[in-house]
Parts: sequence; C-alpha cells; structure tokens
Amino acid sequence: MQDLAPRPVEEISATPPGSSRTVIKVSDLTVGFGRTTIISGVNLTLIQGSIVALIGPTGSGKTTFLRSLNRMNDKVRGYFAGGSIVLDEQEVLSDHVDLLELRRRVGMLFQRPNPFPMSIRDNVLAGVKAHGLAKKSEHDRIVRDNLERVGLWNAVSGRLHDSPFRLSGGQQQLLCLARSLAVQPEVLLLDEPTSALDPISVESVEKLLADLAAEITFIVVTHSLAQARRISDHTMFFFDGHLKESGPTAQIFEDPQQPETQYYVSGRMG
Amino acid sequence: MASDLARKTEEPQAPRIFRPTTKSPLGPVKIASAVSSVAPLLALLAILGILVHQALPAVKYNGIGFFVHNVWHPGNFYLQPVTTNGVLHPAQADYGAWAIIVGTVLSSLIALVIALPASLGAALVVSKLLGPRVRNALGVFLELLAGIPSVVFGLWGTLTIGPLLSRDIYPIVAKHMPDVIILRWFRGSTGAGEGLLTSGIILAAMIIPIIASTSRDLFAQVPKLTEEGAEALGMTRMEVTTKVTLPWVSAGIIGATVLGLARALGETMAVAMVSGSVLGTLPTNIYSTFNTIAATIVTTLDSALIDGTGLAVRTLAEAALVLMLVTLLANVGARLLVRKVSTTALPVGRGV
Repeated sequence: MQDLAPRPVEEISATPPGSSRTVIKVSDLTVGFGRTTIISGVNLTLIQGSIVALIGPTGSGKTTFLRSLNRMNDKVRGYFAGGSIVLDEQEVLSDHVDLLELRRRVGMLFQRPNPFPMSIRDNVLAGVKAHGLAKKSEHDRIVRDNLERVGLWNAVSGRLHDSPFRLSGGQQQLLCLARSLAVQPEVLLLDEPTSALDPISVESVEKLLADLAAEITFIVVTHSLAQARRISDHTMFFFDGHLKESGPTAQIFEDPQQPETQYYVSGRMG
Repeated sequence: MASDLARKTEEPQAPRIFRPTTKSPLGPVKIASAVSSVAPLLALLAILGILVHQALPAVKYNGIGFFVHNVWHPGNFYLQPVTTNGVLHPAQADYGAWAIIVGTVLSSLIALVIALPASLGAALVVSKLLGPRVRNALGVFLELLAGIPSVVFGLWGTLTIGPLLSRDIYPIVAKHMPDVIILRWFRGSTGAGEGLLTSGIILAAMIIPIIASTSRDLFAQVPKLTEEGAEALGMTRMEVTTKVTLPWVSAGIIGATVLGLARALGETMAVAMVSGSVLGTLPTNIYSTFNTIAATIVTTLDSALIDGTGLAVRTLAEAALVLMLVTLLANVGARLLVRKVSTTALPVGRGV
C-alpha cells in the first residue's frame, strides 16, 4: 500500500516509440494568485508528439497549470509562479523570455470558439501576419494548407472573405485550430476545446488531434473522462492543486495507484 | 354496420390547428405605449413644419444664392421696403450662408479629429489597463465633464485657453509648419485666440466625454476570450487592440462619433463666444475668425428682430433648416458607414 499523503512528484517516463525529444520539462512548479496557492509541487516531462490529457475536478488547478505554460496568467492580478518550466532548454518563467515568440511556439485553443472580427482568410493569417512568418505571395497557400489540415477547406473555400461568425460552432473551432496551426507551434494547449461542440464536431476535432500528434505535442484539459481515454497517450490527474498521479492513459484508467484517482476515474467524483 | 365503420375510418380527419391570437385587447398600457411611441415623431414633425413655414418667405427671396455666396447684409432699413418674388423685404437685403455652413462643418471636423483619438485612447486605457477602482473614478470624472454647461466652456475658451494658445502655441506652430498642402492652413496670421482652431479645441473638450464614455462601455463588451485568443497567438497589445478590440466595436464607435459630431454641429453658446463672430467671410487659415450656423442664429437674433419686414428672422429660420439638414446628412452618412463595416465582421447583426 502506498502512502496516502499528497505525493506530487511523479513523472511521465513512458516514451512513445521513435521519439524521445523532451519538449517541456516542468520542475517543482508552484502557481498562485495573491495569497492563494493554486497548484504546487508539479513535476513532469513532456515528450514531443504525444497527447497528454489533464483531468481532475473543477478547481483542481488544471487550467491554471495550462495557462502557466504560455504565461497567459501574467496579466491576472497577483499572479506568481515558482519552480521552473523549461521549453527546449529555455526557461519560460523568466523576464528575459520573448513572450510573443513563446506564444507562437506554444499555441492555445480555448473552451469556446473565438474567431476574430475579420474574414475567414484573415483569421487563418492573423498570427502569420503578426509574426511576419511568410511573404504575401505565400498567404494563399498557407490559408489553403491549414484549412485543409483541419478539414475545413471544402466547406469554406468559396467564402474565404466572409465573416467567420456565420459558420457553425464546430466549424468556428476548427477555424481557430487552423489559425493556431498556421504559426507552426511545437506545443498546443487545449482548454476543454470541445466542451461547447456537438458530438459530430467533437469527433472530427479528436481525429484531427490524433493525426497531428506526430508533429505537435498536445496538452488537453478535459472534463470528459471518455475523451481523455480516447485521445491521450498520457493522463495527468490533478487534485486539489497537486499533480496526484500521472502515467500512460491505460494505466491511469485501468490501474490507478492513488485512491483519489481511482475514485475520480471510476466516475464517483467530479 | 361494417361498411359504416369502414367509411368512418376512411374519412379524412381534419387536423386540429392551433393559432395563438396575436391581438391583445386595447388597454391603458397599449394606449400609453402608442402615445409615447408617436410623441417623438410628432414633436419632430411639428418642429420641422413650423420651421419650414417660418423659413418659406426667406427661401423664396434668398433662392439658391443662399448656399453659394458669403454676404450677410440685412438691407437698408431707412429706405422703403420692396417686394421681390412676392416677399416684402428691406431694400438691398442680401443673405448668403456659405461661410457659416463651411464654418459649422470645419469647426466640427477639427473637433472630431482631436476628440476621436483622444476619446478612444482614454476609453481603452480606462477599460483595459486600469483596475476597477481607478476605472470607476475616471468614469465619474468623464460624466462630470459631460455635464459642464457649454457657456462655461465658452468662458474658459475666451478668457483662458484662447489667449494662451494664441500667445504661446499658435505662433510657434504657424512659424514652423511647412508650406505644403493642408499644413499650409496652419501658417499665417494667428489672431487673438478667437477662431476656428480654438473653437475646434473647445468643441473637442465638449464631445470627448460623449465619445469616450460610450466607447468605454463598448470596449467592456468585447469578449475576453477573443482578446485572449489574440494574445495567446503572440500578438502584441497594440495588435490585439487594432486587429481585434477596435474592429469588434467599430459600428458602435461610429455611432458614438456621430453622437459627438451632432453635438458639435449644433453647439451654440461656446462657439458663439470663441469664434470671433465674423459674418460673410470664409476662413483663410485655421486660426481665422469665423462663424457657425448655430452661433449666427443666437448672435444675430436680437438685431434681426429690428427688421420690420421679418425677412431677417425668416432667414435665421432658413439657416436653422440648413443646420438640421447638415446634421441629418451626417447621420445618414454614419448609417451607410455602419452598414459597410458591420456586414464584414460583426458577430451580432447590423446597427449601432
């Protein structure tokens, strides 16, 4: 029997075949706002080309953790972070980091689709233009490539200059995914990306993630245990501000080591 | 019996259709709402009707010349009144409103050029950068600014700001402006502080609270998720503002701007005090004394009442009609602009 006290120092060590490059290494991460500590003592290593699911009850610190990785918490009043997040040998939690470049490399997809008030085409190009990633002559190709990657090209190729707000919710979320992919991120953070979508759209988003996982590392916060099980290679279980348990998804669901994990994945909590 | 039954089942059953009654009985609520919805329309029609009726003799006498030349000559009251086009008028009376139309439009445009960036900047700072406590304090301040009577602005302009600008600022600007298109307008004689630019500045101070407080409310409505999406994509704060925040509320900003413009076009007292009140001449540079339609009406009404034939007063009514027309045109222009802007992007339908 393992001890029941919080034992947060767990590492994902399983390595997918053919790849072992470390993308993100988090050591002893503590994050909080004002006098409240939200998460503490999180350690993990993320390997390139994997899908990692973050599960846990509401308020367990999943989203706070996720938003620390691309420093989206910076603006929040009283935010502080301790420990270290290393992205490709570069410390993320440092004043010297180029925030704009960090966010290009570590993209984000949100709970609800959030297209910008510009045409569908300009939405895809928004990040590309902001970072000056391509010449104007390449824009058409970039728009087409990325819309094809998310399977949206056929649906919108005839109305690239229309407003994105006339698309369905699922299509809008795919457009946002295309927008994120267009800046060629290495890591994509997804904060409950399908919680506002219908089952058919959920399926297409999930399929896309699986297809793209070879190039991009995905970290997905989800409240759907079934989804975590379907799409992720690794699962991390957050509980009460601690990374309670992490490991290969099958292991977390079939053979959880911690009682809280067992309780949660069996559907008796949350 | 059996055939009876069969026939019964064969008979097509008329489906029962339910249609809710759309008419509600006539009651006090309905009457009250009908009256209150028609009242503004009636008021507008009444004003317009009376104005047209008053102005009609002047329209007949002044003709199209009213819009194209710059004389403001009530005529010679010592000579016998004459009748032209069936209108009795003082001899040699001649009115042309071109200069005051130009003055009205120009001073309002100057005000807008100053006020729009200032208001948007203030609204952005207040709604996006400041904490809630400072935000509320500044909001109260903006509303206080909006409540200052225009005569106070006028007094401030004519006693303080006008002399200050014409002594310390205008001469330097006039001296260093290059002699090229548009900027040429900033060269030349700077006057004593009453004029086009001073009026524009005073008007700007009066419409900034209108545009700023409306814009602040608009910016607060931009979804946080959309702005965060832009930030998470690695856009700078400036890019988030210009590419996402401003376009999101562009239609509303145009609406707010027109509110401000309408106020500037119709502003009377403050402009009358700082315009220099010259009649019948076009401004030669941006410091020139000039006049607006509204200011002309208020400053010449007294002397117009001396005109025994009534033409002078009727001409002022005609000027008032022109002012309403200018304001109307600004509104129509804004609507067209809103339509153009909002069909491209806005998530919610058209409209201000």
